[in-house]
Amino acid sequence: MAFLISVPFFATDYWITLLVLVLVFAVYSSGWNVFSGLTGYTNFGLAWSIGLSGYVSSLLIADYGVFWPLAWPLGALATSIVSIGVGYILLRIKGVYFAISMVALTEGTRELLGTEYLSPITHGGEGVPFVAGIKLPGLYWAILLVAFLTFLIAYKMTSSEFGLRLLSIREDEQAAETLGIHTTRDKITAFFISAFLVGLAGSIHFTYQNYIDPSFAFSIHLTLTPIVMTLFGGVGTVFGPFLGAALFTFIHEVLWAELTLLYMAAFGALLIVLILFFPQGLLGWMKEKGILPRTRKI
Amino acid sequence: MISFVEILIRGVMLGSVYALVGMGLTLVWGVVGIVNIAHGEFVMLGAYFAFWAFALLNLNPLLSVLFAIPLFFLFGGLVHRGLTERLVKAPELSALILTFGMSILIWNLAQFFWTNTFRSVPYLTGSFPFMGFVFGKSKTVSFGLAVGITAALFLFLKYSKWGKGIRATSQNSEVALVCGIDTIKMRMVTYGMGIALAGAAGAIISLQWVIFPQMGGAYISKAFAIVVLGGLGNIQGALAGGLIIGALEAVVTQYLSAKMAQIIPSLTILVILLLRPTGLFRK
Amino acid sequence: MTSKEPLLRIEDVVKKFGEIFALDHCSFSIEAGTITGLIGPNGAGKTTLFNLITGVLAPDQGRIYLRGEEITGKKPYQIARMGVGRTYQIIRVFPRMTLLENLMVVGKGKEGKAHERAMDLLRLVRLADKKNEYASDLSFGQQKLLSLAQVLMLDAELVLLDEPAAGINPTLQNELMGLIHQLNREGKTFIIVEHDMNVIMGHCQNAIALNYGQKIAEGSCSEIQQDETLLEHYFGR
Repeated sequence: MAFLISVPFFATDYWITLLVLVLVFAVYSSGWNVFSGLTGYTNFGLAWSIGLSGYVSSLLIADYGVFWPLAWPLGALATSIVSIGVGYILLRIKGVYFAISMVALTEGTRELLGTEYLSPITHGGEGVPFVAGIKLPGLYWAILLVAFLTFLIAYKMTSSEFGLRLLSIREDEQAAETLGIHTTRDKITAFFISAFLVGLAGSIHFTYQNYIDPSFAFSIHLTLTPIVMTLFGGVGTVFGPFLGAALFTFIHEVLWAELTLLYMAAFGALLIVLILFFPQGLLGWMKEKGILPRTRKI
Repeated sequence: MISFVEILIRGVMLGSVYALVGMGLTLVWGVVGIVNIAHGEFVMLGAYFAFWAFALLNLNPLLSVLFAIPLFFLFGGLVHRGLTERLVKAPELSALILTFGMSILIWNLAQFFWTNTFRSVPYLTGSFPFMGFVFGKSKTVSFGLAVGITAALFLFLKYSKWGKGIRATSQNSEVALVCGIDTIKMRMVTYGMGIALAGAAGAIISLQWVIFPQMGGAYISKAFAIVVLGGLGNIQGALAGGLIIGALEAVVTQYLSAKMAQIIPSLTILVILLLRPTGLFRK
Repeated sequence: MTSKEPLLRIEDVVKKFGEIFALDHCSFSIEAGTITGLIGPNGAGKTTLFNLITGVLAPDQGRIYLRGEEITGKKPYQIARMGVGRTYQIIRVFPRMTLLENLMVVGKGKEGKAHERAMDLLRLVRLADKKNEYASDLSFGQQKLLSLAQVLMLDAELVLLDEPAAGINPTLQNELMGLIHQLNREGKTFIIVEHDMNVIMGHCQNAIALNYGQKIAEGSCSEIQQDETLLEHYFGR
């Protein structure tokens, strides 16, 4: 950890930038995992939480002059509070339908934010270029802090009784209910936490880009990459998403360098191979083979 | 001034093609149990098939539509046997990721080989008047083809041996197994049929609109909306759903804007899942 | 002298699925401390009744009272916390969680105590040595015991068992029934759905017979046993 904190002092900008992205996506992945990995409700709308928080905080910074340490948590809070309502409505839909409805929500919100009717507030489809007054080493430390926080929360959630209850929802929600578990409350709580974490990272992400627009903020790429990263590392584990984010970014850099044009196609093929032969991810595989202990704490 | 009736007719004609895509998706989803996110990509492949057949072999696009059916049927069967069959018993997330991977692979390969240049099949142009309305030739022929294929589908499902097998498997696959129906083969056939519908739809689409590698995306979201509207696995429902989506799109485009019309599939999905999750129509 | 409020009271309950009456104006009471058998052919409405009592489904008409308090329409987790536990005909334990986790997730009380109670219960059903194994690795009979242990973890006063004796060997069956009697002596009330008449007659004090959603008989087991028309008509004796 001390090593990670000291990185900006000796590394080049290229590496710091790379690490910032890895950390951002690590938080996205872990945030996705603490909800979907534990409850089994596949959230295909991660971009919705990210984009919403990104928009709130970016607009606060750009149009209302709010200082970034305030704008980021406000954005995250906004998206997580709305998530409570959304969760209450949508989390009664099970399985694949939930996944589809989250996609629909994301697409719908993206289109909505791009329309002419809302552009006085949202700047419509052109996007919002802005400067936040915090630059690279600062951004790095900020996202490092958030990532650390996320890790602690993920650890606490996964290895606690709350985590067990979420797992029981994944295993058999109705049986869990008849055993006295308040599944609605637990689901929504996990959803809230997930939204807050990814929202925070999202706000930082867009501040780093100095730009936000609907098609990127709500792009399916922001939903799917964290999911794939988590799959790499191991769904439902604590370290999995972080490991997956690092691994994936490394592979991404290699693929991009070697196969620029076919990069995405290779990514698709990789996904197929992954899901068919290694669905439990790296950590899951290691636990199964006995290389790692089969405890929830990892 | 365009009358409302004319817009509705336009919408229904549009929707007939959407219905083909939707019926294919619901067939695969309901019977095989796989949510085929790559479905839109097969539509795209169908469109490119018609394009290349026309450009290289001078094949009449109408014939392409016909040829697409057996071709994509076989292609679909192979894809299923090789990939999706393995995940029939796996958790849903796995099938979603697999078909998503397939989707990415397919459209990126298409982009790599055929570039992003917009293509089109300028076979039927112009319009003709009929009963006081003006109809585009390509749209009308498309509509006719879609109707024909839909009718063939329904007849097949109702009267053929395989059709009955599919209906049995969709209702209860364990009972179907016991009754001696080879469910693996049945799923392969069904997947093949679903892809055949997608490919044929794509070929029909090539008559009317531009073709490009990412075009599948729009169709998959409409297809999802159609499946949700019609009820999972409900083919007649998907037909109705397709027409409804088409009509809605035509109406909203005319009276609000094309951009607003893009929200329709998402909105439909959310509304239906919240109010009537099993779909508008009973099985 | 006022009569004691029964533990469970079902009042004129109706449940329809489409046009079919799963439960057709059913009424009965269960006194605390009893073991009651719920019998009837398949489709008679027994599992539906369990679903209504536990809140998984809500009745179309009628009311349900637990200890005099109305529980009609309450959510399953609320009813469970009020002291009603149930097992399922097809065992529903949490497959990819360990035995210990399966119990601790029900967790009542503070962190530390849940662990103790879970271990006690695992020892009771003689599965303590498997505490870190996944529930999916258990045999069928062991899963049944785990399922019962979960209900006990809930500290349920009223326990609904859906075919507890089905599909397990006689030794395990005896063990299970012995456990039920022990718990009954400690004050728990049981309603047991069973097809095996020997189990019902051998272990239950009372019985309720359902057919086509209607209650066709209610009384002590000896009364039911002697009801010739009942036995002949519905159970082909």
